[in-house]
Amino acid sequence: MATLELVHIVKKFGEVTAVNDISLRVEEGEFVTLLGPSGCGKSTILNMTAGLEDVTSGEIRINGKTVNHLGPYERDVAMVFQNYALYPHMTVEENIGFSLRLRKRPKDEIRERVRKVAEMLELEQLLHRLPRELSGGQQQRVAIGRAVIREPSIFLFDEPFSNLDAALRIKTRGEIKELHQRLGVTSIFVTHDQEEALSLSDRIAVVRLGHLEQFGTPEEVYARPASKYVARFIGTPQMDIFSGEFLRQDGLYYRIGKARIPLPASIQPPAAAVDMGVRSEFVRLGAQGFPAMVRLVQPVGPFTYVTVEWQGGGVTARVNGVSHLKPRENIRVEIDPEGVLFFDRGTEKRIDL
Amino acid sequence: MQITNDYNRRRFRMGLWFTAPAIIVLLAVLAYPIIASWVLSFLRVRFAGQGLSFQFYGFKNYTDMLSNQLFREALARSIYFTFVEVVVVVFLALIVALMLNHPLGRHAFFRVVLLVPWALAPVANAVLWKWIYNANYGILNQILVGVGLIEKNIVWLGSPLLALNMILLADIWKAVPFIALLLLAGLQNIPSYLYKAARLDGANTWQQFQHVTLPGLKTTLVISIVLQSIWALKVFDLIYVLTKGSPADSTVLLNYLSWRETFSNLDVGYGAAIANVLFVMMFLLALIYIRALRPRQTGERAG
Amino acid sequence: MFSYRRYLSRFFIRLGLALFTLIALGPVIWAVITSLLPLSALTSRPPDLNPLNLTLENYRLVLDSSRGLFSGLINSFIIATFTGAVGLVIGSMAAYALARLRMPGSGTILMMILATQMFPGIVIAIPLFLVMSRLHLVDTHFALVVVYLSFTLPIVIWILKGFFESVPMELERAAAVDGASPLQTFRHVVLPISLPPLFATGVFVFIESWNEFFFAIILTRINVKTAPIAIAEFSGQYQTLYGQMLASAVLASVPVVLLAIIFRKFILEGFVEGAIKA
Repeated sequence: MATLELVHIVKKFGEVTAVNDISLRVEEGEFVTLLGPSGCGKSTILNMTAGLEDVTSGEIRINGKTVNHLGPYERDVAMVFQNYALYPHMTVEENIGFSLRLRKRPKDEIRERVRKVAEMLELEQLLHRLPRELSGGQQQRVAIGRAVIREPSIFLFDEPFSNLDAALRIKTRGEIKELHQRLGVTSIFVTHDQEEALSLSDRIAVVRLGHLEQFGTPEEVYARPASKYVARFIGTPQMDIFSGEFLRQDGLYYRIGKARIPLPASIQPPAAAVDMGVRSEFVRLGAQGFPAMVRLVQPVGPFTYVTVEWQGGGVTARVNGVSHLKPRENIRVEIDPEGVLFFDRGTEKRIDL
Repeated sequence: MQITNDYNRRRFRMGLWFTAPAIIVLLAVLAYPIIASWVLSFLRVRFAGQGLSFQFYGFKNYTDMLSNQLFREALARSIYFTFVEVVVVVFLALIVALMLNHPLGRHAFFRVVLLVPWALAPVANAVLWKWIYNANYGILNQILVGVGLIEKNIVWLGSPLLALNMILLADIWKAVPFIALLLLAGLQNIPSYLYKAARLDGANTWQQFQHVTLPGLKTTLVISIVLQSIWALKVFDLIYVLTKGSPADSTVLLNYLSWRETFSNLDVGYGAAIANVLFVMMFLLALIYIRALRPRQTGERAG
Repeated sequence: MFSYRRYLSRFFIRLGLALFTLIALGPVIWAVITSLLPLSALTSRPPDLNPLNLTLENYRLVLDSSRGLFSGLINSFIIATFTGAVGLVIGSMAAYALARLRMPGSGTILMMILATQMFPGIVIAIPLFLVMSRLHLVDTHFALVVVYLSFTLPIVIWILKGFFESVPMELERAAAVDGASPLQTFRHVVLPISLPPLFATGVFVFIESWNEFFFAIILTRINVKTAPIAIAEFSGQYQTLYGQMLASAVLASVPVVLLAIIFRKFILEGFVEGAIKA
C-alpha cells in the first residue's frame, strides 16, 4: 500500500502535448479513477505512473520518494492491461507465476502462491489451460491474478473491461470492487465509462485533453461538478444545460425561451452571463409549472425519460416507473431548485449562488 | 527525448548490443568489400611471386573497358537479355497469377507447382536444360523431330544468337514462378468490392482488367520489373554450366565477363571495374525500387 | 445459369492451368525419369522408356565418394545449417532491436539493408577473395558461411523485423511490469511466440545457402566442394554420363525442394508479402 503523487506531470510526443501539467495525490488504499474520453491522456498518465513511458517534466512520487528514473518492477506496481496481454504460449499457472519465476523463487513457493491466487479468483480448474482456450472474462481474471500475486504497492488498471459485453462488465465491476475491499491496495483505474467510475471509485479524476478538470468523490463530481464539461460528462442521461438569463419580476426567475423557472429569492445573480443546468431527476412533470409539449418518451425499466419542449428550449425529465404520456401531449414542467446548478458562461466553471 | 527511466535506458542499451553483431558482420562482409572494389578498379593488380602487387592505374581500367569490343558487346547483350527476360517473365507471370487467382486455380497444388522451379538450385536448373538442349539425345530435339517441326537435330548451344536465347529461355522458366507469386499476392490485395463496383457500373472482363486490376497492381508490377531486372543482370550459373561463354564469346554477359577477367585472366583491377559498372546499373534499379515503395497506395484505387 | 461464354472461359482456364503445370513440372519430371534410366536407354533413339529399365544405378555411381557428390552434400549441409543458425541468431537480435528498441538511425540502416539485396555478388567477391587468401581462409567452411551471411543476414533482419513489430506492445509491457529485463522479455516472451517465422526464415536461408554457386566456386578449391559445385563438375567432366549428371542434380535438389514444399505456407506468406510491403 502506498501513496502516489503526480506533481506537475507533463508529457509531450514531439510537438503534441498529451498531458499538460497534471497534479494529484492518491492516498493509501484509495481507489482512484482516471476518467475521460479516448485520447484525453488518461492512459498516458497511467503508463507514466507505471514507468512504461518517460515523463517529459514533472515528478512521480510513490510513498514520498521520486521514482521517475525507476522501471516498472522497481516501483512495485502491477498492471492489468486492456487486452489482458496474457503470454499466449504459457498456461494460466505459468502466466500468473511468471514474475516469481523471473525472481527465481523456489518452485514450491511459486506453486503455492499461484494456487492461492487462483482460488481467490476462481481459476483453480483452469490452471493448465492456455489463454486462447479461455473466455474473455476468464482471461481477465488471469490478468488480475498475475497482478495480484505481485502483492504490489499500487494496482493499475488500463480500461480492463472494454472488451467484455455489458452483463459481464457489471459482474466484473462488482468483483473488482470486492477485491479492492478485501486487499485494500491503492488502485488507479482508467476508463471512459463514467458509470463505472462512479460505482468503483473513492475519488474520480476527470481528464480532458491532458488537463485535470476535477478531482473529487463520486458525489462531488455528480452533484457539484466543477465545470460544464464535468457536468455533461458525468451522469446518464446527460445534464441539460441552458443559456438563458435571470429575470426579476415578482420574484427571481431564470428564463429559457418562453419558460420561466422560479428560483429562491435569496440568490444574487452576478453581472456576467450565467448558464443553468439541471439533471433529469429534478424535473417534475404534472399539472403545475410552465407549459411544454412532450416530444420523446423513452422507457428504461425502472424509469421513463420524457423529453419535453417549449418555445426556446427543452428538457428531459425522469419519471418513476412507466409513463403514460404520449408525444405531442401538453404537460406542465416544474424544476426543483435543489437540483439547479449555475455555470459561468464564459469560463464554463460552476458558480455557487 | 530525454530518457529518464531505467527500463527504457536498458532497452536502448540492449538495442545497441543486439544490433552490433549484425552490423559488424555486414560492415566486414559488405561495406568493406564494396569500398575495396572501387579502390581496386583504379589499380593494376598483378600476381607477383606469392602475393599481389598494386599499382595505381587511374581510370585506365575504365577506359580500357569502354574501348574493349568484348565489353561493349557483353554490355549490349546484357541489356538485351535483361529487357527481353523482364518483358517475357512479367507477361507470363501475370497470366499465371491471373489463372491462380481464378477460383479454378485456387488449389494448393498449383502453389506447390510454382515452388518447385523456384527451389531448384540455379546450377541444377542449368544441368537440367543442358540435358534438354543436348543436340543428340536431348528431349527438345526428340520432340521437335518426332512431331515433324524440324528435320535434323539442332545444336541449340552451338550458334551465337541461338545459344544466348536458349539460356534466356532456361532462365525465364526458372524466374516466372517467383514473379507469379509476387503478382498473385498483389492481385489478392486488390479489394473485391472494386470489382463488384465495376461490374455494377457495367464493365466487362477486359475493362475490369484495365481499370481495376492493372492500377491495383501498379506497385507490384514495378517491384517485379525492378527485381527481375536485377536478377537478370546477375545470371552466371547458366552460362558457366551451359556454354562457358562460347560459341566465340557470344554468350558472355557482364557478370560472367567480370568473373572471367578476374579469376581466369587474373586482371583483377579490370574485373573490378566491370563489376562496378554492374553495381551502378543495379543501384539505379534499386533506387527505382525504393522510390516505387514510398508513396504507397494513394493513387492506386481504380476510379 | 449456363452461359456459353462462361463455359468457354472456364475451358480455357482449365487448359491454361494444365499447360502451366505441364511446363512447370515437365522438365523436372523428365529429369527424374532420366536419372532413373541407364545410359543405354538414354542414348538409343528414340530413348528407351520401358519402365522395366528403371534403375538406381546412376544414383549409386554418383554417390561413390570419388565423384565428390557425397562430400558435396555433406559440405552443403554443414554450410547451410551454420549459415542458417548464425544468421537466425544474429539476425533475430538485430531485427528485434530495430523493431522495438528505439535505435537511432534505424531508418537508414533499413534502407541500407534493402539496398544490399540489389547488387552483383562479383562486386564483393573479388575483394573478399583477396582477403580470404591473405588470411588462408580459402577453401574453408568458415569462409563460405561468413560470405553467405552477407546476403542472407539482410533478408533475415528484414523479414523478422516485420514480424516483431506485429507482436503487441502490451505483451512486452506486461513482461516489464512483471520484472523482466529487456533480454528476458526477448527470451521468454517474444521468441517463444515467434517460432513459426523464425523457422521459416531459417529454412529460407538454408535453401539460399544450399543453392549458392558463385561464391562457392570462387572461395573453395578441393576440400569444401559444395553440392552445386559437384553438380557443375558432373555437367562438365562427366557430361556424357547423362543419367549420372541428372541424378546428381536431382539428388542435390531433393532436400531443398522438399523443404520448400513443407514450408510453403510461410515462404508464400512471409517473403512475398515482405517484398511488397518492405
